Amino acid sequence: MSLSSDPAGIFAIETHGLSKHFGRHAAVDDLSIRVPAGTIAGFVGPNGAGKTTTLRLLLGLVRPDGGSATILGHSLTEPGRYLPRVGALTEAPAFYPGLSGRTNLEVLARLGGHPGSRVGELLELVELSDRARDRVGTYSLGMKQRLGVAMALLPDPELLILDEPANGLDPLGIIGIRELLRGLVAQGKTILLSSHMLGELERVTDWLIMLNQGKALFCGPAHELLAQRVEVVVEAEDAVQLGLLARIVGDAGYAVTREDHALRIACPPGFAETLTRQAREAGAPDLSIRVIEASLEQLFLALLKGERS
Amino acid sequence: MISVIRAFRSEVLKFRRWSVLAVAGVMLAVSTFIAYLTFHQIASGATGREMTGLIAAFHTPQGLVSIIGQARSLIIAIALVMVTANLAAEWSQGTMRNLLVREPHRLRWLAGKMLALVLFVVLFVLLSMLLTLLVSGIFILVLAQGQGIQTTPWTSAEGLRVFAAFLGNEVLCLIGVSALGMIIAVLTRSVAAGVGIALAYILVVEGIIAVVLPQVTQWFPGRVFNTIVGTTVPLVGPTPPQGYPAALAAALLWTVGFVVASAVVFPRQDVTA
Repeated sequence: MSLSSDPAGIFAIETHGLSKHFGRHAAVDDLSIRVPAGTIAGFVGPNGAGKTTTLRLLLGLVRPDGGSATILGHSLTEPGRYLPRVGALTEAPAFYPGLSGRTNLEVLARLGGHPGSRVGELLELVELSDRARDRVGTYSLGMKQRLGVAMALLPDPELLILDEPANGLDPLGIIGIRELLRGLVAQGKTILLSSHMLGELERVTDWLIMLNQGKALFCGPAHELLAQRVEVVVEAEDAVQLGLLARIVGDAGYAVTREDHALRIACPPGFAETLTRQAREAGAPDLSIRVIEASLEQLFLALLKGERS
Repeated sequence: MISVIRAFRSEVLKFRRWSVLAVAGVMLAVSTFIAYLTFHQIASGATGREMTGLIAAFHTPQGLVSIIGQARSLIIAIALVMVTANLAAEWSQGTMRNLLVREPHRLRWLAGKMLALVLFVVLFVLLSMLLTLLVSGIFILVLAQGQGIQTTPWTSAEGLRVFAAFLGNEVLCLIGVSALGMIIAVLTRSVAAGVGIALAYILVVEGIIAVVLPQVTQWFPGRVFNTIVGTTVPLVGPTPPQGYPAALAAALLWTVGFVVASAVVFPRQDVTA
């Protein structure tokens, strides 16, 4: 895994060989990642990749078995030094269903020593003012999610750790969250954003961390990853020729998706030229080969397939 | 200290939940109803074996406390369930992670929460005593004096001393029971398991062991918490066979032990819920 350099050199999060085991299972395995200050970092990986455990480690909720980390300049072993400047929404937001949205926020505001006026401001921000006095048990999933975002913003954090913040939101809500995140980054805040909505991540993130089986597959600027790979689309009427090409791509170690009369290959940009030459040599000249920019989803799948193969 | 006060103030807000208020309401209703029944039986001239002691004590300085204390076994069980369920629910509901992100010093949070819970339980027990006093007042006005029942010893110097001793021991008992609830919740981290274990322990396990090893169980937490109150007024609970000072020392040791065990375990636990 390559750990790209950051020109600014100031990292809100840095981990070195961080590990966490549950029994024999390594949930996080020798993880070294970093997130530059003032960026939105996308945190992606399949289910069970170790994303949630990593977030819990950073929040001091679980204790690491090995490695170290620095968050906002303080060691992971001193959560009291950095957590007052961190806001978090981990997994599904959890609240006291018998209390109102306002009281739920007041519970945390009092605990964290935040002014009571902050509660009203945040309810306004997430557009829950009119339902603030209703029991959270009566809220929809999207409303709970918005309340969770308000909860994370309570301390006016320098670092915001969000796990699937757009889960359950309608399209307007998703756009609202996107705008909110951009606004927060414009204020100089850092956001670590874990999500399965890769298309949405691609729109907002400028730093990416890809995780699989507790290890980082990639950690660096999003544009660096996107430049690493393209999608090569090979089209042909002849199924035999396509089969031949699929074998060449497979031998080269790249992930290929077969459609009716086409192959989609996630690979480095230079591979298209190699493929054209090899196809000609193998006796499959009647092919249309196009190079298009790969989406984050395709890159993610390609990296994952590469990891598993 | 400021963190503990913050945690305390934060916890107080959560008492607005209907589930918490319902448990406290049950505590009030049950104790008042039992006091009502007891008065009613005495006033209506009941002569059952279980009533003999109560009737005999009714005219003494211990009379008031004997009536008030009739529901205390149930109140102890309710208090234990309430503390265990309330703390364990932070894990079961997933709210623990929100709380510990806002207050990473876990022991300070636990101290603030337990302080609020113990005060809440004690407050409601006092409130139930007040209601019982109201019931007794009504009975005295309506029935007792008409039947020549004397209640003046209740408010004599000795009566007030007995009441104060009962109150002090009851508060100690509730603190001990709350500490027991705390360690059960910290170890189980689940409402269902916590409440199940707490009730099974206090209502069944100690009783079964008492049959086999009575000499040993007299030192068990449930027993000593209960018997220190029984010392004041034997009619409201068993008296400690080992004597009050020894039972009190054991109760304090258990309480400190539960607090220390919780303080050792809780900061080292992974919050995965």
